[in-house]
Amino acid sequence: MTDPGSAANIAVTTDHPQSTPPGSDPVAADTHSLWSDAVRQLRRKPSVVIASVIAVFFVVVAAFPSLFTSVDPGACNVSQAKIRPQWFGGQHPFGTDQFGCDLLAQLVNGARPSLLLAFVVVFFSVIIGVTLGTLAGFYLGWVDAIVSRVIEVFLVIPLLLAALLLLSLFRQDVSSGGGTFATILQPAIVLTGFGWMSYARYVRASVLETKHLDYVTAARVLGAGDFRIMFRHILPNAISSVTALIPTAIAGVISAEAVLSFLGIGVRPPSISWGIMLNSGAEWFSGGYPHMLLFPLICLMLTILSFVVIGDNLRDALDPKLK
Amino acid sequence: MRATVAGYILRRVLQGILTLFLVMILLHWLTTLVIQLNGNPALAFFGDRIPTAAQLAAVTARFGLDNTCYSQTGNPCIGPFFERLGQYLRGDFGTNFRGREVTDIVGSAAPNTLKLFVVVTIVWSIVGLTLGSVAARTRGRATDTSIRVVSILIDALPIFVLLLIYKYVVTVPVNKWASSKFGSDSFVALLFRPSFSADHSWATLIIPGLLLGLAGTASFIRLVRAAQLENYNADHVRTARSKGLGEGRVTVRHIVRNSAIPVVTAVGFVFTDALGGAVVTEGLMNINGMGGVLWNAVRDSETAVVIAVVTMLTVLTIVVMIGVDIVYALLDPRIRYD
Amino acid sequence: MKLTKKSPIPAAAAAAGSDAAAPLLAVTDLVVEFHTPRGVVRAVNGLSYTVEAGRTLAIVGESGSGKSVSSQAVMGLLQTPPARIAGGSIVFEGTNLLSLSRKQHRAFCGENIAMVFQDALAALNPVYTVGWQLTEALRVRRGLSKGDARRRAVELLDLVRVPAAAQRVKEYPHQFSGGMRQRVMIAMALALDPQLLIADEPTTALDVTVQAQIMRLLADIQQERQMGLILITHDLGVVADVADDVTVMYAGRSVEAADVMDTYARPAHPYTEALLRSIPRLDSKGKELPVIPGRPPELLALPPGCAFAPRCDYAQDVCRTDPPPPDVEPAPGRTAACHFAAEVMDHVAPRTRA
Repeated sequence: MTDPGSAANIAVTTDHPQSTPPGSDPVAADTHSLWSDAVRQLRRKPSVVIASVIAVFFVVVAAFPSLFTSVDPGACNVSQAKIRPQWFGGQHPFGTDQFGCDLLAQLVNGARPSLLLAFVVVFFSVIIGVTLGTLAGFYLGWVDAIVSRVIEVFLVIPLLLAALLLLSLFRQDVSSGGGTFATILQPAIVLTGFGWMSYARYVRASVLETKHLDYVTAARVLGAGDFRIMFRHILPNAISSVTALIPTAIAGVISAEAVLSFLGIGVRPPSISWGIMLNSGAEWFSGGYPHMLLFPLICLMLTILSFVVIGDNLRDALDPKLK
Repeated sequence: MRATVAGYILRRVLQGILTLFLVMILLHWLTTLVIQLNGNPALAFFGDRIPTAAQLAAVTARFGLDNTCYSQTGNPCIGPFFERLGQYLRGDFGTNFRGREVTDIVGSAAPNTLKLFVVVTIVWSIVGLTLGSVAARTRGRATDTSIRVVSILIDALPIFVLLLIYKYVVTVPVNKWASSKFGSDSFVALLFRPSFSADHSWATLIIPGLLLGLAGTASFIRLVRAAQLENYNADHVRTARSKGLGEGRVTVRHIVRNSAIPVVTAVGFVFTDALGGAVVTEGLMNINGMGGVLWNAVRDSETAVVIAVVTMLTVLTIVVMIGVDIVYALLDPRIRYD
Repeated sequence: MKLTKKSPIPAAAAAAGSDAAAPLLAVTDLVVEFHTPRGVVRAVNGLSYTVEAGRTLAIVGESGSGKSVSSQAVMGLLQTPPARIAGGSIVFEGTNLLSLSRKQHRAFCGENIAMVFQDALAALNPVYTVGWQLTEALRVRRGLSKGDARRRAVELLDLVRVPAAAQRVKEYPHQFSGGMRQRVMIAMALALDPQLLIADEPTTALDVTVQAQIMRLLADIQQERQMGLILITHDLGVVADVADDVTVMYAGRSVEAADVMDTYARPAHPYTEALLRSIPRLDSKGKELPVIPGRPPELLALPPGCAFAPRCDYAQDVCRTDPPPPDVEPAPGRTAACHFAAEVMDHVAPRTRA
């Protein structure tokens, strides 16, 4: 009985002799079967498979733009402005914009800031949310009072309003150079700062629920430390509800980025993003150059749709009760 | 019982005021930090021109940013905060670049936002409740699946994308056709006007409102469906059926009544989303509403207006959330009034 | 809220009339199937029993034996689909409930049969006061005024011995203790003066001392009103004092039906015998409590012969190949679905397992 964790597991396994092989961690076993069930269920759905292919495609585009175009998106020739799509075989398959920039090159290079921003924002939001939610749900008392109040304060400020306020103040300082990370730094900080609350709320509720289950009590009685209980026993259960939120959240950040860039306060020129392309393409749509709006719009819609479809199915797979 | 409900409401309102105070501190602290890191936003007033020191000082003073603390990074600027708080309490929300009172601007804009939200609320209640209930009733069958596809599509079309398509792809040809067929002042033509018209505020608000409402209905459909499903097979509903009550009464008095509780609690969060959506909607459709004012202020770097309008919209959010809590307390007797 | 106050039963279904000897409720060869992704499960598989007015029938079985499903079939409360009543009849005073539409079925039960559910906290609506729920059916179906309804609610709570009834009708279910909530459930079931009361594990969720009080209350009320009472339970010990007859269920069918005293004294089915042995007794203190080996059968894969054979102490080859006839009569007035019912009853069946 030196290892409190395994002792707790034995105490639990006696409760369910048939469902769990003795000696294995019941939490791990449960979560594993939940996950493998979910994956098996998702793999069988054509909509999920198609959505995943699209999502992976755009992620690859964002990661390796050179695979898809060899044209420098910044090399624009005004004499070649507003060329309509020439499709494959032509010099500008998707045409050019009003400055003569190659639209395909812009689209391909515009994927990176949106997706990188989305992943960065969601990653840090989850870290902050899960940490605060776990601490609040586990310790309750003043920790919970503070965390809950902070959540409430952040929740009443709509994400978009906060982003508008703070990012509009940044306007004067056009960051130049420093690569994609520097480009997305400002929106990333603001969107993360106002995007972590839902994870904290979910995790807090889930911790409150799990905390009094018998196996956690057993682990505690056997002397497991707070951190061991939190990370080994409580978090694995809480994490599934959070995971289901992630794809939808990624879609949300992508669409928020488009709005902010459209307004000129997200990713800023001379960097390229779909939001910026939408902004410049919008005014040319009815002037006979619909491609300048439609291509970025279709890319944006496809990306968001694919993440939403994955998220929706994931939520169902991890919470089969409501199917 | 009544006294406890009243006490609860009072407590909730006081709590809301505290939250508002904390929110204002947070917003103030963040804006201060950004200004300190980023430089004087009054510079934007001059655009590309280089102002003289005296001009800059004058504009800075008008924005209430003429405190030295704004150039000391890390200084929380407590003094100016309470100064601004005092001004807000007196109803003074500052002026825009052209010297027009923000309260005046918002005063003329608020009615249009209100109208927009009337349309939005109607869409939420009709589409959200109907589709959610139907989906719950037909769980697992074709109707349920199609409603689900619809709600995924709604989710996948953020209001921004929806409006871009509507404004640039749909309105121009439809409006042109309607104008030639019925005249440019006909209702149909107005309905599909690509931008807001103050003279025909209702007609030009309906479709933007529909689209904004639609953008929020996906969560309502899901919520209503989940809440009704949970109750549909609940033990207490089985009890009601065992009493020989008709299915109609069981549905209205036991399923819908009980599933209203989780749906109401979610209204607050959907509302905050919709407020963000309203900024985009009003901005893109040139609607002279509070969101439109904010959108234009952001475009023109009118910092003072942005801060004032965001503060007002935050107050509105808090009021809505308190309202939600009160309705919740009235709906669910299990809530403890402490 | 005006609903039908007239009995919506078609004349033909009710015309059969009731002669004195006919039982209050007769369930015959009832089959209830559930359509699951893994196949069709027969949760109730040819169940028959009768209840007479003024008598108490205990239906005993493990979870999954079909006892709750069968009572929900009687009440018309099964979710269809996935459930489907695939055969048999449920006749209440000459009316075959299964020939009624679902709406008529529910309305009929509302007037004649009432049910007390296991988990009273879940079975009461949390958002209405106890008084409102007690009299909902009275107001809707009998058109009682608000004032009359309130008075009647207090009477009903008094009847089930809830103290301070006049105040408590204004409270919500969560403000009651477990035992008091179950009394509210019983009062609600009595509101329309039913002729038959079905209590589905009415005491399982309660403390032992409260269990006895609730059982006593049910028995007293049944005596006073000369109702029929069906007590559904997994615990033979609980019903010993109050039941007149016992039907033991296993794998969706009745394996033994007899008078309660006979059943306790000389069980004719090995399963009944095993159930009785597993009741803790004072004189067995210090000894290990016998348990029934094995697990309840998988309904999707029932053995070809007797469903109990894999767990039976007396199983012989014939038990594993041939299903026992459903109504062996080892003694007058009792039936047992066992090839060796008479031998088991007389304690002469050879043990085939240690």
